[in-house]
Amino acid sequence: MSDFIRLFGRNVLSFCAYLGQLLLLAIDTFRSIFTAPIRWKLFMKQLLEVGYRSQLVVLVTGGFTGAVFAAQTYFQFHRLQMDSAVGAVVSVSMFRELGPVLTGLMLAGRVGAAMSAEIGTMKVTEQIDALRALGVYPVDYLVVPRVLAMMISTPLLVAECVGLGILAGYFVGVVVLDIQGAYYLDYLLKFTGSRDIKMALTKGFVFSLIIVFVSCHQGLNAKEGAVGVGRAPTEAVVIGSLSILIINFFLSLILNAIFPAGL
Amino acid sequence: MTGAVQERATGTRQAGAALISIRDLWKQLGEQQVLKGFDVDVATGETLVILGRSGGGKSVLLKHIIGLMKPDRGDVLVEGESIVALSERQLSRVRKKIAVLFQSAALFDSMTVEENIAFPLRETGLKDQGEIDARVAGALEMVDLAGEQKKMPEKLSGGMRKRVGLARAIVTEPRCILYDEPTTGLDPIVADSINRLIRRLQKRLGITSIVVTHDMKSAFHVGDQVAYLYDGRAYFKGTPEALRASSDPLIHDFIEGRSRELSGDD
Repeated sequence: MSDFIRLFGRNVLSFCAYLGQLLLLAIDTFRSIFTAPIRWKLFMKQLLEVGYRSQLVVLVTGGFTGAVFAAQTYFQFHRLQMDSAVGAVVSVSMFRELGPVLTGLMLAGRVGAAMSAEIGTMKVTEQIDALRALGVYPVDYLVVPRVLAMMISTPLLVAECVGLGILAGYFVGVVVLDIQGAYYLDYLLKFTGSRDIKMALTKGFVFSLIIVFVSCHQGLNAKEGAVGVGRAPTEAVVIGSLSILIINFFLSLILNAIFPAGL
Repeated sequence: MTGAVQERATGTRQAGAALISIRDLWKQLGEQQVLKGFDVDVATGETLVILGRSGGGKSVLLKHIIGLMKPDRGDVLVEGESIVALSERQLSRVRKKIAVLFQSAALFDSMTVEENIAFPLRETGLKDQGEIDARVAGALEMVDLAGEQKKMPEKLSGGMRKRVGLARAIVTEPRCILYDEPTTGLDPIVADSINRLIRRLQKRLGITSIVVTHDMKSAFHVGDQVAYLYDGRAYFKGTPEALRASSDPLIHDFIEGRSRELSGDD
């Protein structure tokens, strides 16, 4: 029993220490953003990598999720003769949950892994020490451009994901499953409001911070050797994805109080 | 130990103005006490070679000199200023005076040779492309790699990488260069060329150097002063000649490359 308590205590402590390290990295980064000159060239490079090049993954995810969600909703609602409500269900779900969460998960996989692998490799090949030795603070050079690029890109990618999801849902519902277009759109617009857009963008913004800080932290703390560098992206993706799913639950409760669902 | 202390008294040149002073440095990494009160002074313009066995704490010591690691106890003074308590941002100012050639050269692999060497220049705020190009070409010429500007680091051999690393280190004309195992992993001919290069830089540019190595040939070739790091302390400090003439068995074994653990097998 005492072993279990000791093990439990150790894990709780290491979890708290990890959260503390993430928080310190975040504080350091935001201090850098406001006090040190921003490296715009690196920022643009990251914007291209994180924002522009992630579009295909996010659009495919959003499109097919919207399509399949519309179809499944229709199969259930059709029995109750509520076909025209499909649009509203797809739209609200895409905005409030599916769009931000799926975009977050896809970015944690695509961008988070790449960031932690790149920074981790730089760490073990002494390139980060070289940066420091050349008088360059690694947070300014490596973390700030990535954080800024993620903060800007992620909400926009969420918007793309949601937009295409709703469009695909409309296509499946109206064109393929023959729901009446006018009713579909009317319900969709009636049940979707600015509160849903705000919720989607807020979640996207929060997830961007989770992904970028978890990934940069894993990279900056990568251990020596192939195993160490290999572990950094794996852990970045696992921790990033799980954090998104867990935090999403609490975020939904908080944001629902701020931006309540409904008419 | 007594022998070594005597040699220290006779062999050590009285340092003038010390550019770098290491005072009673202690550092523990995990369970291992790596440094146990290391002391040394490096005078302006001289080359100090820090000798020691692999895993003996030489690289750790080097990282303390530029503030990449913080000691548990002790002090590091650069031009009389203690750097131990400085924050990472405050250290940037000190680090601009001291360049490092890392063991792996630590070139930025996403940049060409030219961009690697121009990096510290751009960081100091230099914008004039013509001047940057001229200084990069000058640094490459100094390390016998003229015309290699456009290559990517992965296309270079180990020796060439170290030379590019050296070009990046000297391009800002630092007061001091720290060399972390500059000849390790290189064939004897390339190693010799690196040694000559270190000597040439010291003579031509008057750069103060600290060379961390276990390569005796390199130590005797480049060193004005030698410190032997053993058991976390400076076991010997003096000239290379005094080291060579030492009768201390520990030093003798190191110079000869003799392992005590296996001596019974011979």
